[in-house]
Amino acid sequence: MNQNAHTAEESPVRLERDRKQVLLYLPPSPTVDAINDWRELWQNLKHHLHASERFWESQTLVALKAQDRLLDMPQLSAIAQALSEVDLRLSSVETSRRQTAVAAATAGYSVIQPSPLSPLNQPVAAHQFKHREPLYLKTTVRSGMEIRHDGTALLCGDVNPGGSVIAHGDIIIWGRLRGIAHAGVKGDRGARIMCLQMQPTQLRIADVVARAPNSPPQDQQAEIAYVAAAGIRITRGLDFLKTHRFVKEQEIWEAFPI
Amino acid sequence: MTRIIVITSGKGGVGKTTATANIGSALARLGNKVALVDADFGLRNLDLLLGLENRVVYTAIDVINGDCRLEQALVKDKRRNGLVLLPAAQSRGKEAITREQMKDIVTRLAPNYDYVVIDCPAGIEMGFQNAIAPATEALIVTTPEVAAVRDADRVIGLLEANSVSNIKLVVNRVKPDMIQANDMMSVEDILEILAIPLIGIIPDDERVIVSSNRGEPLVLDEKLSTPGLTFNNLARRITGDEVRFVDLMANQDTLLNRIRRWFTEPSQ
Repeated sequence: MNQNAHTAEESPVRLERDRKQVLLYLPPSPTVDAINDWRELWQNLKHHLHASERFWESQTLVALKAQDRLLDMPQLSAIAQALSEVDLRLSSVETSRRQTAVAAATAGYSVIQPSPLSPLNQPVAAHQFKHREPLYLKTTVRSGMEIRHDGTALLCGDVNPGGSVIAHGDIIIWGRLRGIAHAGVKGDRGARIMCLQMQPTQLRIADVVARAPNSPPQDQQAEIAYVAAAGIRITRGLDFLKTHRFVKEQEIWEAFPI
Repeated sequence: MTRIIVITSGKGGVGKTTATANIGSALARLGNKVALVDADFGLRNLDLLLGLENRVVYTAIDVINGDCRLEQALVKDKRRNGLVLLPAAQSRGKEAITREQMKDIVTRLAPNYDYVVIDCPAGIEMGFQNAIAPATEALIVTTPEVAAVRDADRVIGLLEANSVSNIKLVVNRVKPDMIQANDMMSVEDILEILAIPLIGIIPDDERVIVSSNRGEPLVLDEKLSTPGLTFNNLARRITGDEVRFVDLMANQDTLLNRIRRWFTEPSQ
């Protein structure tokens, strides 16, 4: 949703399952523009909560990982309210900021303050795994919305013109792609974009960009976009893996000779 | 339970205020008590379209500042009994009011009316945020143009993020002859992108402009014109009636038109 404040490294808002609770990660706070940032974060959060797969039971507890974000009482209660709309309950707040901790404690949530320097608290995932678990969303990605995920993104719904899906891994869209899809955003040229109907504004895979053909495709069937020697190509999705292979050295997909 | 409906579009000039004036008047004509709220601070127009400009004494800002009571600021419509207008201030900007103040005013207004209809300013900034804050339902007005549909799509996303979930679509300024000739997006094309329920299709018609300039909403005519009828049907659908859509394309496929197209269009 805001390209300036966040790098491609992190998803704007993330939900993860823990043993008994749901973890809600907020992105680290940007250096500038704190007011607009909250509004965008808030919209992101709402979209994410409503679009995401309901993997939780009713009234599951949520641990908010606020990182270095400043949150005041109204903002915390807005987050709690948004969570309660999807049957989740905010129970604890983890923050490295004193003001946020005070606000959370006043509002009656348990507060965890991690010591910022402890190496044991570093997220393991970032170092040992290239991708995070796939993200599954059920929503229409409307104009102005941007889905970012550092893994493979699965979307059940359309991507409208002006909307975009950006993922470190593959992008699979069970619906129409009319906006922008960017797979393998960290440079993985093996990443592919699959969808039921390809009418994109633009396709991007790793560092390769392609514009859609001006005329819409005649036969409406599931298609797959991949990087070939001449750039991004689109082909019928059905037999792709039987007819194509990924050449690691050249970082392209090539068709088997028949 | 009072229904609080915001009429919005994202893009400017697609007919939000015209729709508000006509839907409000139609709802009142159907026997409802209706309050129209002009949320377009600094660029207020709704009073003009209703022909109530010269009756505005106080505005919403005066109510917020405590300079008058809420009832004093409400302008009663000169034709319909159940219709009142809360005018916006013309001299101030969009920042003159906060979300909470807007919510507060509408909450105070709501108990006395069946419908509160809010006319939203164009854009998605402060004025938009204020206007949608109190609403529980929304009507999206769009025209069959790519830019209008794109903005409508954005606005639907923002409304959903703000927990306004009951969103219906009004397609304004439809030109059946252009759709027939494939020069304009059809209503189906728009629905395919926006994917929200349709509640009204309004044809493009010069009488809409005439009525706006006169300050006489079309739905109040003795004998309803086509756009007047479609607005009236729209209002009936809001109240829960099932009304069939007027078939605007009906006149398009006559023999005469077919022959005319035969001559004017290159054969395919």
